[in-house]
Amino acid sequence: MKILTPMRALWSLSVLGAVLLGALTLGLTAGPSGLGLGEILSVLADRDASGPAADIVLRVRLPRVLLGALVGACLAVSGVLFQAMLRNPLADPYVLGVSGGAALGGILVLSLGSAIGLGYAAVPPAAFAGCLITTAVLYAIAGANARVSTTSLLLTGVVFNAFASAAIVFLASMAGLTEGASIFLWLIGSLSSIRTEVTGWVAIFLVLGLGATFPLARGLNLSALGGESAEQLGVDIDRQRRVVLIASSLMVGAAVSVAGMIGFVGLIIPHLLRLILGPDHRLLIPASAFGGAAFLVICDAVARTILDGRELPVGAITALAGGPLFLWLLRRYHQRVFS
Amino acid sequence: MIGSARLWLGIALVAACWTGASAASDAPAPAAPSLRVVSMNPSLTRMLIALDAQQLLVGVDEYSGDHESAVAALPRVGGLFNPSLEAVVALEPDLVVVVPSVQQRDFRSRLRELGVEVLELASITFEQLLASMQTLGDRIGRSEAARERVEAIRSTWREVAREASLQPRRSAVLIVQRDPLYVVGGESYLNAMLDAAGLDNVAAEYPEPYPRVSLEWLIAAGPQVIIDSSADPVNAVEHWARWESIPAVAENRVVAVPQGLVTLPGPYLDRSLLTMVDAIRNADRTSDTGGGARLQ
Repeated sequence: MKILTPMRALWSLSVLGAVLLGALTLGLTAGPSGLGLGEILSVLADRDASGPAADIVLRVRLPRVLLGALVGACLAVSGVLFQAMLRNPLADPYVLGVSGGAALGGILVLSLGSAIGLGYAAVPPAAFAGCLITTAVLYAIAGANARVSTTSLLLTGVVFNAFASAAIVFLASMAGLTEGASIFLWLIGSLSSIRTEVTGWVAIFLVLGLGATFPLARGLNLSALGGESAEQLGVDIDRQRRVVLIASSLMVGAAVSVAGMIGFVGLIIPHLLRLILGPDHRLLIPASAFGGAAFLVICDAVARTILDGRELPVGAITALAGGPLFLWLLRRYHQRVFS
Repeated sequence: MIGSARLWLGIALVAACWTGASAASDAPAPAAPSLRVVSMNPSLTRMLIALDAQQLLVGVDEYSGDHESAVAALPRVGGLFNPSLEAVVALEPDLVVVVPSVQQRDFRSRLRELGVEVLELASITFEQLLASMQTLGDRIGRSEAARERVEAIRSTWREVAREASLQPRRSAVLIVQRDPLYVVGGESYLNAMLDAAGLDNVAAEYPEPYPRVSLEWLIAAGPQVIIDSSADPVNAVEHWARWESIPAVAENRVVAVPQGLVTLPGPYLDRSLLTMVDAIRNADRTSDTGGGARLQ
C-alpha cells in the first residue's frame, strides 16, 4: 500500500491539474468549425470580441467546457464516496436511485412539457426536484432507525431505480418520436444543451459536496476495515453515511439535471485513480474531481468533433472510451501485483 | 397530450431508416367500391381524405383518430410503436397502408403472412411523397384525383421557383427541434421546399433527412434565414437573438413557423410551400423594423 505523504499528494494533484488544464485547452480548441489557435487566443484576449469566432469560443465552447468539467468532477467524486460508504466496488453515482428520481423529473418535462407550456429550459429544475425528492426519501429511510443500514440504502436504490425505469418506459412509449429522441439522448447523457446560467449552481454543489466530505476522508479510509472496527477507532459511521448520502446525492442531482445520465465517469475514474494512486481518500477525493473533470471534457471534445458538425451524446463516448481503458488498467494492475 | 404534428415529423424521421424504393405494393389489385382500408399513418390518412376516399377507411392509427375530425369516430388500431395486429385483422381490411418504418417491419410481415395486402408508401423525399400519393390513388380507384393533386403541387412548386429565381438566392436553415438541435438535411422533402423558395439549405450536405447538428456548426454555417418550426414555447426570435453573429439574427430574418404548418408530409405540400414563402416575405418586410417574423 502506498503511503500518502504531503509531497506525494502535491505531486499527484499537480500532475492531474496539468492533465485537466490540457483537457480544458483541448476542449476550447476542438470543434467542427475549424477555428485556428490564433483566432481562439485573440478572442480570449479581447473582452469585447464579437462575431462568429467570439460566439463559438466564448458562448458555445467555453461554457460547455466549464460545465463538462464540473459535471465530470461531481460524478467522479460521488462515485468515490458511494464506493467508500457502501464498501462496494460496483457502486456508482447512480446506485442509490437519486439519478432515477432526477431522470424521472426531467423526462416528465421532456415528454409532457410542451403540452403544458414548458420548454427544454424547464428540464434541469424538474430533474433537480426529482433528485431532491428521492434524496429526502432515502434520508427518511436511512434515518428511520438509529443505525443507517447500507443494505437498506442499496435495496431502496435498486427498487427506486427499477420504479423510475418503468415510469420512464411508460412515458417514452407515450411520446412521439421527437420526444422519444430527446428522452433517449438525455438518458445517454449529453452536454449539447447546456445553459450558462446553471454552471454556477453546479459549481456551488460541487464545492459544498467537496467541503462536506473531504473532512470525512480519514473516516472513509478506516471504514474499509468494517463498520465496527471503524467505530472502535472513533469514526461516527452513521453521521458519516448521512453526510455522504446528502452531499453525494446533491452533486449527482446537479450533474444529472444539466447533462442527463452520463455513465462510466463515476465508476471508471475512481477505480482508475485508486489503481494509480492507492486507496487513501484524502488524495482520492480531490484527485477524482480533477480526473473526472478532465475525462469528461476530453470525451466531450471527441463527441463534438468526431462526426464533423453532427453531435454524438458524450455518454456514448465515456462508455466506449472508459470500458477498454479500465480493463487495460485492471490487467496492468494484476500483472504488477501477481508478477 | 403530445404536441401537435410532432408525430408527423416522427413518421418522417422513422421513415429515414427505410432503404427501399419510393413505393411498393404486394400486388396490384383492381379498385373496388367496397374496399376496406386501414391507415397506419397520419400522412396517409390525410392523403386518403384529400382524395375523397375517407369512406373507404375502416380503421386508423391513434394520431389520425385524434387529429383528423373526418375519421375521429373510426376504430383505432394503435400507433407507430404499438400497432395492434389483432385490432387490424379484426377489421377484415382489404388493404392496410403504412409507411415503411423500421418500427413496423414485423407488423407488416405478420399482416402479409395472414393474407392482408399491405401497401408501403414512403414520405421522405419530395418525389417519394408525390409518387406515394399517385400509387395510393391508383390502388383505391382515385387515380385522377391523385393526378390532379400531384399536378397542383408541381404547378405551385414551379411557380414559386420561377418567382424565386428572380431574386438572389440566400442560405437558410430549417429548425425542426432546438434541444437537441435537429435541422432539415438534404434528403427531406423540406430541402426541396427550401430550394424551390430560393433558399440554399446549409445542412444539405448531410444526407440524412433530419440530422442532429451542433450549435457551433450552425454559427459557423451562418445562414441568412432561420426558419424555426420547433415546438418550444419560447419565441423563436427571442431564442435566437443571443447569437448575433448569425446573419439571419443580425438581419432580423428569423422566421417562426408553428410546428406542423410547414413540416407536415402529406397531400398539401403546395400550401405548405406557400405558407413558408409568405412567412419569409413577412420577415423580409419587417427586417428593417428591428423584429423577426412570427407566423400565427
